[in-house]
Amino acid sequence: MTAPRSVLIVGESLAGTTAARHLRTLGHTGPVTVIGAEEHGAYSRPPLSKVVLKDPAPDQTLGLVLDGIDIDVIRSAAVAADTRRRTVTTADGRQVGYDALIVATGADARRLAAPGQRGELVLRTLNDARLLRARLADARSAIVVGAGFLGMEVASACAARGIPVTVVDADRPLERILGDHLSAEITARASAHGIRFIQATGFATLTGDPVSGVALPDGTELTADLVVTCAGEVPSTGWLAGTVLADRLGVGIDDACATTVPDVFAAGDVTYLRGDGTRPDRRAPFWSNAVAQGRAAAASALGLPPQGPAQDDYFWTEVAGLTVKIVGRLPLLGEPTTVQGSVADGRALLTWSHADGTSTAVAYGLRRPVAALRALAATTLPPSP
Amino acid sequence: MKISVDHPRCEGHGLCADQAPDVFSLDEDAELTYRFEGTDVPDEHQPAARAAVNACPVAVLRVLS
Repeated sequence: MTAPRSVLIVGESLAGTTAARHLRTLGHTGPVTVIGAEEHGAYSRPPLSKVVLKDPAPDQTLGLVLDGIDIDVIRSAAVAADTRRRTVTTADGRQVGYDALIVATGADARRLAAPGQRGELVLRTLNDARLLRARLADARSAIVVGAGFLGMEVASACAARGIPVTVVDADRPLERILGDHLSAEITARASAHGIRFIQATGFATLTGDPVSGVALPDGTELTADLVVTCAGEVPSTGWLAGTVLADRLGVGIDDACATTVPDVFAAGDVTYLRGDGTRPDRRAPFWSNAVAQGRAAAASALGLPPQGPAQDDYFWTEVAGLTVKIVGRLPLLGEPTTVQGSVADGRALLTWSHADGTSTAVAYGLRRPVAALRALAATTLPPSP
Repeated sequence: MKISVDHPRCEGHGLCADQAPDVFSLDEDAELTYRFEGTDVPDEHQPAARAAVNACPVAVLRVLS
Protein backbone atom coordinates (compact mmCIF):
# COMPACT_ATOMS: atom_id res chain seq x y z
CA MET A 1 0.00 0.00 0.00
CA THR A 2 1.33 3.43 -0.87
CA ALA A 3 1.17 6.20 1.73
CA PRO A 4 -1.64 8.71 1.31
CA ARG A 5 -0.51 11.92 -0.35
CA SER A 6 -2.24 14.36 1.96
CA VAL A 7 -3.54 14.02 5.49
CA LEU A 8 -6.20 16.36 6.85
CA ILE A 9 -6.71 16.56 10.60
CA VAL A 10 -9.90 18.26 11.78
CA GLY A 11 -9.59 19.49 15.37
CA GLU A 12 -6.67 21.48 16.78
CA SER A 13 -6.86 19.41 19.94
CA LEU A 14 -4.48 17.24 21.95
CA ALA A 15 -5.44 14.29 19.74
CA GLY A 16 -5.14 16.40 16.59
CA THR A 17 -1.74 17.92 17.37
CA THR A 18 -0.41 14.58 18.61
CA ALA A 19 -1.49 12.99 15.31
CA ALA A 20 0.12 15.80 13.29
CA ARG A 21 3.45 15.45 15.07
CA HIS A 22 3.33 11.68 14.89
CA LEU A 23 2.81 11.75 11.12
CA ARG A 24 6.16 13.54 10.83
CA THR A 25 7.80 11.25 13.41
CA LEU A 26 6.74 8.30 11.24
CA GLY A 27 8.48 9.90 8.27
CA HIS A 28 5.47 11.22 6.36
CA THR A 29 6.68 13.97 4.03
CA GLY A 30 3.39 14.77 2.27
CA PRO A 31 1.09 17.69 3.10
CA VAL A 32 -0.50 17.79 6.55
CA THR A 33 -3.28 20.29 7.26
CA VAL A 34 -4.93 20.94 10.63
CA ILE A 35 -8.32 22.66 10.77
CA GLY A 36 -9.11 24.13 14.18
CA ALA A 37 -12.00 26.19 15.55
CA GLU A 38 -10.25 27.28 18.75
CA GLU A 39 -9.09 30.92 18.61
CA HIS A 40 -6.20 30.22 21.00
CA GLY A 41 -4.99 27.25 18.97
CA ALA A 42 -4.32 23.95 20.71
CA TYR A 43 -3.66 23.96 24.44
CA SER A 44 -3.39 21.60 27.37
CA ARG A 45 -6.76 21.18 29.12
CA PRO A 46 -5.96 19.29 32.36
CA PRO A 47 -4.68 22.48 34.09
CA LEU A 48 -7.92 24.37 33.30
CA SER A 49 -9.84 22.87 36.21
CA LYS A 50 -6.87 23.06 38.58
CA VAL A 51 -4.09 25.67 38.45
CA VAL A 52 -5.83 27.96 35.93
CA LEU A 53 -8.73 28.48 38.35
CA LYS A 54 -6.26 29.71 40.98
CA ASP A 55 -3.76 31.74 38.98
CA PRO A 56 -3.74 33.65 35.66
CA ALA A 57 -0.01 33.10 35.07
CA PRO A 58 -0.27 29.68 33.35
CA ASP A 59 -2.80 30.96 30.75
CA GLN A 60 0.05 31.95 28.45
CA THR A 61 2.04 28.72 28.73
CA LEU A 62 -0.56 26.05 27.98
CA GLY A 63 -0.14 26.05 24.19
CA LEU A 64 0.54 22.83 22.27
CA VAL A 65 2.87 23.96 19.50
CA LEU A 66 3.27 22.58 15.98
CA ASP A 67 6.30 24.73 15.13
CA GLY A 68 8.98 23.59 12.72
CA ILE A 69 7.29 20.49 11.32
CA ASP A 70 5.64 22.02 8.23
CA ILE A 71 1.98 21.76 9.23
CA ASP A 72 -0.58 24.00 7.52
CA VAL A 73 -3.02 25.29 10.17
CA ILE A 74 -6.44 26.72 9.21
CA ARG A 75 -8.14 28.56 12.11
CA SER A 76 -11.79 28.23 11.14
CA ALA A 77 -14.39 25.71 12.28
CA ALA A 78 -15.15 22.74 10.04
CA VAL A 79 -18.83 22.93 9.11
CA ALA A 80 -19.31 20.03 6.70
CA ALA A 81 -17.63 16.90 5.42
CA ASP A 82 -18.18 14.91 2.22
CA THR A 83 -16.50 11.53 2.57
CA ARG A 84 -17.37 10.52 -1.00
CA ARG A 85 -15.71 13.53 -2.60
CA ARG A 86 -13.14 13.63 0.24
CA THR A 87 -13.51 17.26 1.22
CA VAL A 88 -14.10 19.26 4.40
CA THR A 89 -15.68 22.71 4.30
CA THR A 90 -14.77 25.42 6.81
CA ALA A 91 -16.84 28.29 8.24
CA ASP A 92 -14.78 30.80 6.25
CA GLY A 93 -15.75 29.07 3.02
CA ARG A 94 -12.71 26.97 2.22
CA GLN A 95 -13.00 23.48 0.82
CA VAL A 96 -10.06 21.29 1.80
CA GLY A 97 -9.43 17.95 0.09
CA TYR A 98 -7.70 14.93 1.59
CA ASP A 99 -6.44 11.45 0.86
CA ALA A 100 -6.75 10.49 4.53
CA LEU A 101 -8.86 12.24 7.17
CA ILE A 102 -8.34 12.20 10.95
CA VAL A 103 -11.35 13.39 12.97
CA ALA A 104 -10.19 14.95 16.25
CA THR A 105 -12.78 17.62 17.03
CA GLY A 106 -13.08 16.63 20.69
CA ALA A 107 -16.21 17.34 22.71
CA ASP A 108 -18.22 20.24 24.07
CA ALA A 109 -19.53 20.68 27.59
CA ARG A 110 -22.96 19.14 28.18
CA ARG A 111 -25.33 21.96 29.09
CA LEU A 112 -28.48 21.77 31.20
CA ALA A 113 -29.99 25.23 30.65
CA ALA A 114 -33.46 25.42 29.08
CA PRO A 115 -33.68 27.06 25.66
CA GLY A 116 -33.21 30.81 26.16
CA GLN A 117 -32.07 30.46 29.79
CA ARG A 118 -28.93 32.60 30.15
CA GLY A 119 -25.82 32.55 32.31
CA GLU A 120 -25.04 28.83 32.52
CA LEU A 121 -21.39 28.29 33.47
CA VAL A 122 -19.47 25.25 32.20
CA LEU A 123 -15.76 24.38 32.10
CA ARG A 124 -14.33 23.03 28.89
CA THR A 125 -12.29 25.76 27.18
CA LEU A 126 -9.66 28.29 28.26
CA ASN A 127 -12.29 31.04 27.93
CA ASP A 128 -14.64 29.04 30.20
CA ALA A 129 -11.83 28.74 32.78
CA ARG A 130 -11.03 32.48 32.63
CA LEU A 131 -14.68 33.41 33.10
CA LEU A 132 -15.05 30.99 36.00
CA ARG A 133 -11.85 32.30 37.63
CA ALA A 134 -13.18 35.86 37.45
CA ARG A 135 -16.50 34.78 38.96
CA LEU A 136 -14.74 32.85 41.74
CA ALA A 137 -12.98 36.05 42.81
CA ASP A 138 -16.15 37.55 44.33
CA ALA A 139 -18.53 34.59 44.76
CA ARG A 140 -19.75 33.96 48.33
CA SER A 141 -21.49 30.65 47.60
CA ALA A 142 -21.40 28.04 44.87
CA ILE A 143 -23.29 25.04 43.52
CA VAL A 144 -21.68 22.46 41.25
CA VAL A 145 -24.01 20.21 39.27
CA GLY A 146 -22.20 16.91 38.73
CA ALA A 147 -19.87 14.97 41.04
CA GLY A 148 -17.57 13.50 38.41
CA PHE A 149 -13.91 14.40 38.34
CA LEU A 150 -14.48 17.81 36.74
CA GLY A 151 -17.23 18.71 39.23
CA MET A 152 -15.09 17.69 42.20
CA GLU A 153 -12.12 19.67 40.84
CA VAL A 154 -14.27 22.78 40.46
CA ALA A 155 -15.70 22.25 43.95
CA SER A 156 -12.12 21.92 45.24
CA ALA A 157 -11.23 25.26 43.62
CA CYS A 158 -14.20 26.84 45.43
CA ALA A 159 -13.20 25.26 48.75
CA ALA A 160 -9.59 26.40 48.31
CA ARG A 161 -10.88 29.98 48.11
CA GLY A 162 -13.07 29.51 51.19
CA ILE A 163 -16.29 29.61 49.16
CA PRO A 164 -18.99 27.35 50.65
CA VAL A 165 -19.86 24.88 47.87
CA THR A 166 -22.56 22.27 47.40
CA VAL A 167 -22.17 19.47 44.85
CA VAL A 168 -25.32 17.82 43.50
CA ASP A 169 -25.47 14.49 41.65
CA ALA A 170 -27.57 11.35 41.49
CA ASP A 171 -24.44 9.26 42.13
CA ARG A 172 -21.93 9.79 44.93
CA PRO A 173 -18.73 11.73 44.12
CA LEU A 174 -16.59 9.94 41.52
CA GLU A 175 -18.54 6.72 42.09
CA ARG A 176 -19.19 6.10 38.38
CA ILE A 177 -15.48 6.42 37.58
CA LEU A 178 -13.71 5.09 40.65
CA GLY A 179 -16.19 2.75 42.34
CA ASP A 180 -17.60 2.83 45.87
CA HIS A 181 -14.45 2.33 47.96
CA LEU A 182 -12.54 5.40 46.76
CA SER A 183 -15.80 7.34 46.35
CA ALA A 184 -16.54 6.96 50.05
CA GLU A 185 -13.02 8.07 51.04
CA ILE A 186 -13.07 11.05 48.69
CA THR A 187 -16.56 12.10 49.79
CA ALA A 188 -15.40 12.12 53.42
CA ARG A 189 -12.28 14.10 52.55
CA ALA A 190 -14.26 16.61 50.50
CA SER A 191 -16.72 17.06 53.37
CA ALA A 192 -13.85 17.76 55.79
CA HIS A 193 -12.70 20.50 53.39
CA GLY A 194 -16.08 22.23 53.29
CA ILE A 195 -17.53 20.58 50.19
CA ARG A 196 -21.14 19.61 50.91
CA PHE A 197 -22.66 16.81 48.81
CA ILE A 198 -26.36 16.30 48.12
CA GLN A 199 -27.41 13.06 46.47
CA ALA A 200 -30.38 13.79 44.25
CA THR A 201 -32.90 11.16 43.18
CA GLY A 202 -32.66 12.24 39.54
CA PHE A 203 -31.68 15.08 37.28
CA ALA A 204 -31.26 18.59 38.66
CA THR A 205 -32.66 21.51 36.66
CA LEU A 206 -31.21 25.01 36.59
CA THR A 207 -33.40 27.80 37.96
CA GLY A 208 -33.38 31.56 37.39
CA ASP A 209 -32.60 33.63 34.31
CA PRO A 210 -29.72 34.25 34.46
CA VAL A 211 -29.06 30.95 36.22
CA SER A 212 -29.01 31.40 40.02
CA GLY A 213 -29.77 27.98 41.45
CA VAL A 214 -30.94 24.41 40.98
CA ALA A 215 -34.16 22.51 41.59
CA LEU A 216 -33.98 18.85 42.63
CA PRO A 217 -36.58 16.17 41.85
CA ASP A 218 -37.71 16.04 45.53
CA GLY A 219 -38.69 19.73 45.41
CA THR A 220 -35.54 21.05 47.11
CA GLU A 221 -34.41 24.39 45.68
CA LEU A 222 -30.92 25.78 46.21
CA THR A 223 -29.50 29.14 45.18
CA ALA A 224 -25.93 30.46 45.04
CA ASP A 225 -23.80 33.27 43.58
CA LEU A 226 -22.17 30.77 41.28
CA VAL A 227 -23.75 27.71 39.61
CA VAL A 228 -21.43 25.56 37.51
CA THR A 229 -22.62 22.69 35.31
CA CYS A 230 -20.13 19.80 35.21
CA ALA A 231 -22.42 17.22 33.62
CA GLY A 232 -20.07 15.56 31.18
CA GLU A 233 -19.35 16.18 27.54
CA VAL A 234 -20.99 15.83 24.14
CA PRO A 235 -18.83 14.73 21.19
CA SER A 236 -18.39 17.55 18.64
CA THR A 237 -19.87 15.91 15.57
CA GLY A 238 -22.32 18.51 14.20
CA TRP A 239 -20.08 19.09 11.16
CA LEU A 240 -20.31 15.36 10.31
CA ALA A 241 -24.08 15.50 9.69
CA GLY A 242 -24.78 13.86 6.35
CA THR A 243 -21.96 11.33 6.78
CA VAL A 244 -22.28 7.91 8.42
CA LEU A 245 -19.35 8.66 10.74
CA ALA A 246 -21.11 9.82 13.91
CA ASP A 247 -23.89 8.62 16.16
CA ARG A 248 -25.05 9.52 19.68
CA LEU A 249 -21.80 8.30 21.29
CA GLY A 250 -19.53 10.06 18.82
CA VAL A 251 -17.36 8.59 16.06
CA GLY A 252 -16.96 4.85 16.47
CA ILE A 253 -13.42 3.51 16.04
CA ASP A 254 -11.66 0.16 16.23
CA ASP A 255 -8.32 -0.61 17.93
CA ALA A 256 -6.47 1.03 15.01
CA CYS A 257 -8.63 4.19 15.20
CA ALA A 258 -10.30 3.30 11.89
CA THR A 259 -13.91 4.37 11.39
CA THR A 260 -16.39 2.50 9.20
CA VAL A 261 -15.46 4.77 6.25
CA PRO A 262 -12.29 3.92 4.29
CA ASP A 263 -9.38 6.34 4.85
CA VAL A 264 -11.20 8.11 7.68
CA PHE A 265 -9.75 7.73 11.18
CA ALA A 266 -10.60 9.37 14.49
CA ALA A 267 -8.94 10.07 17.84
CA GLY A 268 -9.64 11.62 21.23
CA ASP A 269 -12.80 12.82 22.98
CA VAL A 270 -14.88 12.73 19.79
CA THR A 271 -14.54 8.93 19.63
CA TYR A 272 -15.88 5.81 21.24
CA LEU A 273 -14.37 2.37 20.95
CA ARG A 274 -16.84 0.20 19.03
CA GLY A 275 -17.98 -2.88 20.90
CA ASP A 276 -17.80 -6.42 19.66
CA GLY A 277 -19.11 -9.75 20.95
CA THR A 278 -17.04 -9.47 24.12
CA ARG A 279 -17.25 -5.79 25.05
CA PRO A 280 -19.82 -2.99 24.80
CA ASP A 281 -19.35 0.35 23.03
CA ARG A 282 -17.19 2.46 25.35
CA ARG A 283 -16.48 6.18 25.56
CA ALA A 284 -13.26 6.92 27.46
CA PRO A 285 -12.59 10.65 26.95
CA PHE A 286 -9.36 10.85 28.93
CA TRP A 287 -6.13 12.74 28.25
CA SER A 288 -4.04 9.59 27.89
CA ASN A 289 -6.44 8.10 25.33
CA ALA A 290 -6.29 11.27 23.20
CA VAL A 291 -2.50 10.86 23.02
CA ALA A 292 -2.56 7.11 22.35
CA GLN A 293 -5.28 7.47 19.71
CA GLY A 294 -3.63 10.48 18.06
CA ARG A 295 -0.54 8.34 17.48
CA ALA A 296 -2.51 5.28 16.37
CA ALA A 297 -4.64 7.32 13.97
CA ALA A 298 -1.50 8.84 12.42
CA ALA A 299 0.01 5.40 11.85
CA SER A 300 -3.24 4.04 10.39
CA ALA A 301 -3.62 7.07 8.09
CA LEU A 302 -0.23 6.15 6.62
CA GLY A 303 -1.17 2.49 6.25
CA LEU A 304 1.24 1.49 9.02
CA PRO A 305 0.39 -0.81 11.93
CA PRO A 306 -0.07 1.11 15.23
CA GLN A 307 3.01 0.89 17.46
CA GLY A 308 0.98 0.86 20.65
CA PRO A 309 -2.57 0.25 21.84
CA ALA A 310 -5.21 2.88 21.08
CA GLN A 311 -6.29 2.75 24.72
CA ASP A 312 -4.07 3.94 27.54
CA ASP A 313 -5.78 3.59 30.90
CA TYR A 314 -3.97 6.35 32.79
CA PHE A 315 -6.20 8.75 34.65
CA TRP A 316 -5.65 11.32 37.38
CA THR A 317 -7.61 13.85 39.35
CA GLU A 318 -7.24 16.17 42.31
CA VAL A 319 -9.80 16.49 45.10
CA ALA A 320 -9.38 18.94 47.98
CA GLY A 321 -5.63 19.07 47.47
CA LEU A 322 -5.19 15.31 47.19
CA THR A 323 -3.98 13.84 43.91
CA VAL A 324 -5.20 10.43 42.74
CA LYS A 325 -3.31 8.75 39.89
CA ILE A 326 -4.61 5.53 38.38
CA VAL A 327 -3.26 3.03 35.85
CA GLY A 328 -5.59 0.25 34.71
CA ARG A 329 -9.21 -0.54 34.15
CA LEU A 330 -12.03 1.40 35.81
CA PRO A 331 -14.27 1.36 37.81
CA LEU A 332 -12.73 -0.27 40.88
CA LEU A 333 -15.12 -2.73 42.45
CA GLY A 334 -14.71 -4.16 45.94
CA GLU A 335 -11.79 -3.69 48.33
CA PRO A 336 -8.19 -2.97 47.31
CA THR A 337 -4.92 -4.47 48.46
CA THR A 338 -2.91 -1.81 50.30
CA VAL A 339 0.68 -2.01 49.08
CA GLN A 340 1.92 0.94 51.11
CA GLY A 341 0.63 3.60 53.52
CA SER A 342 -3.04 4.01 54.40
CA VAL A 343 -5.99 5.69 52.73
CA ALA A 344 -7.08 7.09 56.12
CA ASP A 345 -3.76 8.98 56.33
CA GLY A 346 -4.28 10.31 52.79
CA ARG A 347 -1.15 8.57 51.48
CA ALA A 348 -1.47 5.09 50.02
CA LEU A 349 -0.48 2.84 47.17
CA LEU A 350 -3.36 0.49 46.29
CA THR A 351 -4.08 -2.28 43.80
CA TRP A 352 -7.29 -3.87 42.59
CA SER A 353 -7.18 -7.28 40.89
CA HIS A 354 -9.93 -7.86 38.34
CA ALA A 355 -11.57 -11.13 37.41
CA ASP A 356 -10.19 -10.86 33.85
CA GLY A 357 -6.62 -11.12 35.16
CA THR A 358 -5.73 -7.43 34.81
CA SER A 359 -4.90 -5.12 37.69
CA THR A 360 -5.33 -1.45 38.47
CA ALA A 361 -2.76 0.49 40.51
CA VAL A 362 -3.66 3.67 42.40
CA ALA A 363 -1.43 6.29 44.00
CA TYR A 364 -3.73 8.00 46.51
CA GLY A 365 -2.23 11.25 47.76
CA LEU A 366 1.22 9.85 47.07
CA ARG A 367 3.53 11.23 44.36
CA ARG A 368 4.46 8.39 42.05
CA PRO A 369 5.54 8.47 38.39
CA VAL A 370 3.18 6.77 35.95
CA ALA A 371 5.91 4.29 35.03
CA ALA A 372 6.00 3.03 38.64
CA LEU A 373 2.21 2.59 38.62
CA ARG A 374 2.35 0.77 35.27
CA ALA A 375 4.99 -1.59 36.68
CA LEU A 376 2.88 -2.19 39.81
CA ALA A 377 -0.27 -2.87 37.76
CA ALA A 378 1.67 -5.27 35.52
CA THR A 379 3.10 -7.31 38.41
CA THR A 380 0.04 -7.53 40.64
CA LEU A 381 -1.23 -11.09 40.69
CA PRO A 382 -4.85 -11.81 39.79
CA PRO A 383 -7.10 -13.15 42.55
CA SER A 384 -6.86 -16.89 43.11
CA PRO A 385 -9.87 -18.77 41.68
CA MET B 1 17.83 24.58 22.29
CA LYS B 2 16.99 25.33 25.90
CA ILE B 3 14.06 23.99 27.88
CA SER B 4 12.42 25.71 30.81
CA VAL B 5 10.82 23.69 33.60
CA ASP B 6 8.11 25.20 35.80
CA HIS B 7 9.07 23.02 38.79
CA PRO B 8 6.35 24.19 41.23
CA ARG B 9 3.65 23.14 38.73
CA CYS B 10 5.23 19.75 37.96
CA GLU B 11 2.88 16.99 39.16
CA GLY B 12 5.34 14.15 38.73
CA HIS B 13 3.51 12.23 36.01
CA GLY B 14 6.89 11.29 34.54
CA LEU B 15 5.80 11.01 30.91
CA CYS B 16 8.79 13.22 29.95
CA ALA B 17 11.17 10.65 31.39
CA ASP B 18 9.42 7.91 29.39
CA GLN B 19 10.16 9.90 26.20
CA ALA B 20 13.64 11.18 27.05
CA PRO B 21 15.27 9.17 29.86
CA ASP B 22 18.65 10.79 29.12
CA VAL B 23 17.21 14.26 29.67
CA PHE B 24 14.59 13.89 32.41
CA SER B 25 14.47 11.57 35.38
CA LEU B 26 12.19 11.16 38.38
CA ASP B 27 13.05 9.71 41.75
CA GLU B 28 10.79 7.36 43.69
CA ASP B 29 8.74 10.30 44.97
CA ALA B 30 8.29 11.58 41.40
CA GLU B 31 10.51 14.61 41.96
CA LEU B 32 11.82 15.73 38.57
CA THR B 33 15.46 16.24 37.66
CA TYR B 34 16.25 18.00 34.37
CA ARG B 35 19.79 17.22 33.32
CA PHE B 36 20.43 20.34 31.22
CA GLU B 37 19.04 23.02 33.53
CA GLY B 38 20.30 26.43 32.38
CA THR B 39 22.31 25.03 29.48
CA ASP B 40 21.68 23.81 25.93
CA VAL B 41 20.28 20.37 25.22
CA PRO B 42 22.96 18.52 23.20
CA ASP B 43 21.96 17.89 19.56
CA GLU B 44 21.72 14.13 19.94
CA HIS B 45 19.09 14.48 22.70
CA GLN B 46 16.96 17.16 21.03
CA PRO B 47 14.38 14.98 19.23
CA ALA B 48 13.66 13.02 22.41
CA ALA B 49 13.62 16.23 24.46
CA ARG B 50 11.03 17.77 22.12
CA ALA B 51 8.89 14.63 22.42
CA ALA B 52 9.20 14.93 26.20
CA VAL B 53 8.04 18.56 26.14
CA ASN B 54 5.01 17.51 24.09
CA ALA B 55 4.26 14.61 26.43
CA CYS B 56 3.83 16.72 29.57
CA PRO B 57 0.13 16.53 30.51
CA VAL B 58 0.26 19.79 32.48
CA ALA B 59 2.40 21.84 30.08
CA VAL B 60 5.18 22.73 32.52
CA LEU B 61 7.95 22.15 29.95
CA ARG B 62 8.65 24.79 27.27
CA VAL B 63 11.14 24.85 24.44
CA LEU B 64 12.94 28.23 24.47
CA SER B 65 14.27 29.19 21.06
